[in-house]
Formats: sequence, structure tokens, C-alpha cells
Amino acid sequence: MGQQHLAGPVTGPVTVALVEDHQVVVDGVRSWFGTHSQVELVAQGPTIESVRGTPADVLLLDLNLNGTMVIDRVAELCAGGQRVIVFSEHEEPETVRAVLDAGASAFIGKGRATRDSCLETILEVAADRPSMTPPMAQAIATDEGPHRPQLSDKERAALLFWFQSMSKASVAARMGIKERTVRQYIDRARVKYAAAGRPAPTKEKLLICAIQDGLLQPDEVTVYTSLAARTPPDRG
Amino acid sequence: MTGDIEEVAHRYTLYTAIGAVVIATVWHTGYDLTVTVTGWESFRWPLLAAAAWVAYTAIGAVAALSLLRTFAGPAKARELAVAVLVLDVAVIVSCRPQDLIGPIDWGWGSVGWLGVMLLWNRPRWRAEAIAFLSANAGIMLVAMIATGTVDRVSLAKYLMVIVGSVTLQLGYMVGCHTLRVRAEDAALLARRLAADDAWRESAQRIHADRLRRYEAIREVAESMLKQLADGADPGDSRVRGDCTAGAMRLRRLITEREEVPDELVSALREHIDAAERRQVLVTAPPFGERLPALPDGVREDLLRAPVAALDGARTRARVTVSAMSAMVSVAVVADNDDLPVSPDPVREPSGVVVTYQRQGGEVWVNSIWQGP
Repeated sequence: MGQQHLAGPVTGPVTVALVEDHQVVVDGVRSWFGTHSQVELVAQGPTIESVRGTPADVLLLDLNLNGTMVIDRVAELCAGGQRVIVFSEHEEPETVRAVLDAGASAFIGKGRATRDSCLETILEVAADRPSMTPPMAQAIATDEGPHRPQLSDKERAALLFWFQSMSKASVAARMGIKERTVRQYIDRARVKYAAAGRPAPTKEKLLICAIQDGLLQPDEVTVYTSLAARTPPDRG
Repeated sequence: MTGDIEEVAHRYTLYTAIGAVVIATVWHTGYDLTVTVTGWESFRWPLLAAAAWVAYTAIGAVAALSLLRTFAGPAKARELAVAVLVLDVAVIVSCRPQDLIGPIDWGWGSVGWLGVMLLWNRPRWRAEAIAFLSANAGIMLVAMIATGTVDRVSLAKYLMVIVGSVTLQLGYMVGCHTLRVRAEDAALLARRLAADDAWRESAQRIHADRLRRYEAIREVAESMLKQLADGADPGDSRVRGDCTAGAMRLRRLITEREEVPDELVSALREHIDAAERRQVLVTAPPFGERLPALPDGVREDLLRAPVAALDGARTRARVTVSAMSAMVSVAVVADNDDLPVSPDPVREPSGVVVTYQRQGGEVWVNSIWQGP
């Protein structure tokens, strides 16, 4: 952590735009951010259009806006490099995979989100670090699609246990490994998933950061290999 | 399910094939044998005609056995079809030229039925049957031209026999094929209708169940609102706890999406409902799409330990189900103080593995089934 990143690190407080049609949720998020100096809500509205034009490091997006699911808008939002975090109660693995494949950086389930976990996810995503929430862990662990990531048995088990248990510490006890190793398995799985899915600018940043931090080697990720070919580390 | 359709298809293939065998047998013994015996003196080479009759019978027996065993013509149908055409030529050669179009030349009018048996239910039966029958007609025509039997009456008789036999043989094959396809369609339709009925019934059951739970939650919500209206303190932790529990149940009802109840999910929901009635705060993320079919006994083994943890939860529980095409994992995290936990994984005979863990007043019970 704390390394200089290629992908334009966020300096100062992380700015967040929120797309949410329920005032009670808007108020809840605002109160979560209120006492946190590192995160600032700069725009908010009930539609995607209502926050367009306001630059924000992270876009927090509710999936169900006025009764319409906006899963198919996620790819368009991510295409320009916008970091998108989906914030929804639709935590079904299929939905989570759909938004991650579309380029979303993370998925926060409204059912289990807490202030701390939400802020942690926002800060990780803003820093282009691998972020893994419980609904994402389940969605990635149970992915059987043709482009699924090649996870090791331990990575898959760590994801599933983390989703289904009470904490990473209990996963560590269950697997007989250190909690730090559990985190590493989970983070590696996130990065591999990003590499296996459809390429998106936000995912590329995540991959670059993961490789810089030594989380995985360039040759472990096919998508990254093509990126590395542009700037080979041994040249210059 | 697919078995039903296959059985219908097999039954129709078998009975229509038996029909072809019966027709060929009756024709071969009733006509071919009769004219061979009664016309013995008229043949140029009667032994050749008799040998052709025997060869026809042998090939017919091979084809009939294959039809009864595999519902299709024999594997070497093409080679045998060529052999049949050779014996067709043999019968022609065994006749004197003036008898070529007469009754004792039984081969060309009869071999078509043997062709039907040989080519029955093969992937390219149409093209093969047309080629075979055309070859038979061509051989006879060449023989007629070679022997100068091309007068008006002979040609008319030739056309009548060829058109008649080809129409019957090809018509029988096409008719039986159509009958079988229609029967399969009918079986498929009946199956779809049954599936629709089952789906409708399931959907109605879910709907009724949801209405019942909405009714229950409405009563709770009404009572909560009444308490608040009557001055209950929203700051009171008990009032807040009740409000949170009600909101969670509502959220779960809203996000439930499955259209057909899975037995494992239904059983879990019953226990979740029971826990909520005991004022336990239950969180359960949506269980996702349909779960894989489970072998006998697996569902019970998957549910036993997590349900025990849920049933004994004191104030809160989280229920999760994760599934892949050959894996189902059910977990409960609950503040259950009494649940006996095993330090080692428990392996059930069904293949389900149950693990337990206690941490900070909570127990985590996880049962996993991995399919083959």
C-alpha cells in the first residue's frame, strides 16, 4: 500500500456521486459520509443523467431506479474509465456477475452493508485496489461461465467461506492458514476475475496496481500480458 | 422425461418395422415362393432362381433381426442392398427373355420390400431408399432393352409394376416416419403441458405463501405503527429491534424471486419464518437461481446441521446458500450457545461434509455437497 500508481491516484478526499431514488437511502449514505474526512458526496440524484457532468472519483449506483433495472447502463458508465460501485439489494450471483462483467469495480449489497464496509470499499476502489464484498465473493466463487477466472481451489474456498462465515478470521481458522493469507487469496481472486472478464478501463487500473503491489505476476493474467507488452518492465 | 419420448419413438419404430417385415415375408413366401415352385419348368436356370430366393430369405432374416433388436436396418445395410440388387439380376438371368416381364420373374417387384427393411430408420433413409428403388427400376429397364422387350404392352406392364411397388414401398416408409414424428410431437406436447401445469401450480403455491407472509408481516407492521402512535419511544432498543426485524422480513419478501420452489429453499424458508416468529433477526441474501438436482438423502444431510443452528439461534442468524451445477453449500451463522460442535469435519454417508466453528459468541455451521 502507499505506492505510487500508474493509474492516476486519487489525491485529497475521494469524491462520490450517488445515483439513488430513495431519499431514505440518500440520507443514510450522507450520514455515513458525514463524519468521514476522506470521502465526500459531491453529487446525488434519482437518475444517471441527474449526476452526469459532475466529476467524481467513484459513482455509487443503485440498480433499481424507479422500478427499472439499469444493469445494461453499467458498461456505458464504465467505458469512459469511471469507477462504478453498484449499491443494491439485488445480490443474486447472476446479477452481481453481470455488473462486474460490465466493468463495475465493486458490488455492495444493501442487505449486509455497514458504514465501515461501505467506506472501505469506496476507498479501495478509488485507489484501484482489489475490493471484494461478500456478494462478489459468492458470485465469483460460483461462476461457471465460459470466461470464468482460473481460481485455485484455495482461492475459491476462501471466497465461499468468507461469504458464508462470520469473518475472515473464521475462514483462516477453518482453512488452517493466517488471516493475511485469506486476504491474499480473496484479493488475488478479485484481480483474476477482473482479468478474465470483459476488459474495461477500470479493470486495467486494478490489474496494474495488483501487479505493482506484487499480488500477482504479469504472466498469471492474460489480459495484463498484453498491457505489459506495451511497457515491458526491463526496458528503460 | 426424455425417456418418455424415446419410448414412444421406439414403440412406433418397432411396430411399423414389424409391419414391413410381415409385408416382405408374406410377399416373399406367398408370391415369390409360389411362382418359383409352380414356374420351375419355365425357368432357364431354376436352381439360380431358387438360390436367389434362399439368399433373399437369408438377407431378410438378417434385416428382421436387426429391426427387432435395434429398431433400424443392419449396420452393413448398403453392402446388403447391393447384394439384393445382385440377386435381382440373378432372378432376371434365371428367366428366359420372353418371361422377363412375366409372373416368374419375381425379383424386381419384390426386392423393394427387402430394401425397405434394410434401410429402415437410417439417418439418410430417404435418399438411400430412392437410390435403391431407382437402381432396381434401372436394372429391369436395362434388361428389357437388352432382350428387346420394349413393346407397348411390356412397357405398360413395367411402368405399372414399378410405379405400384415404388409407391407402396416408399409410401409405407414415409407414412410410418410421419406417424412416428407426430407421435413424438404429441408426447412432447403432453410433457410440456404437464410441465406448465406443474409450474402454474408451483407459482400459485408461492403466491399463496407470499400472501400469507405479507398478511403476517402486515399485522406486525400495524402493531408496530400503533405502538409508535401510542407513544412508544423510537429510541428504545426493543422498539428499534422490532422495527429492524420487520424491515428485514419485508426486504426479504421483496427480493425473493424464485418462481418454482426448490425443496431445499422451501425447507429453509420454513425455519427462517419460524425463527422470525421467535423474534430472531434473520438475514438471508437471495439464494440465486435454481439449485442442482440432489441425489437421495443429500438435501436432508445438507440441512440438518444448519437448521439446528438456526432453530437454536438466540437473537440473530444469517442463512446463506451457494450453488454451482455440482456443488451446494448451506451455511448458518447464529448466536446459538447450545449447539454441540464437532472440532473435526463431519462426513455424512451421502458425501455431505459439515464443519462447525465457534467464534465470539457465534457459531458457523457449513454443510457442503460436491457432486461427481
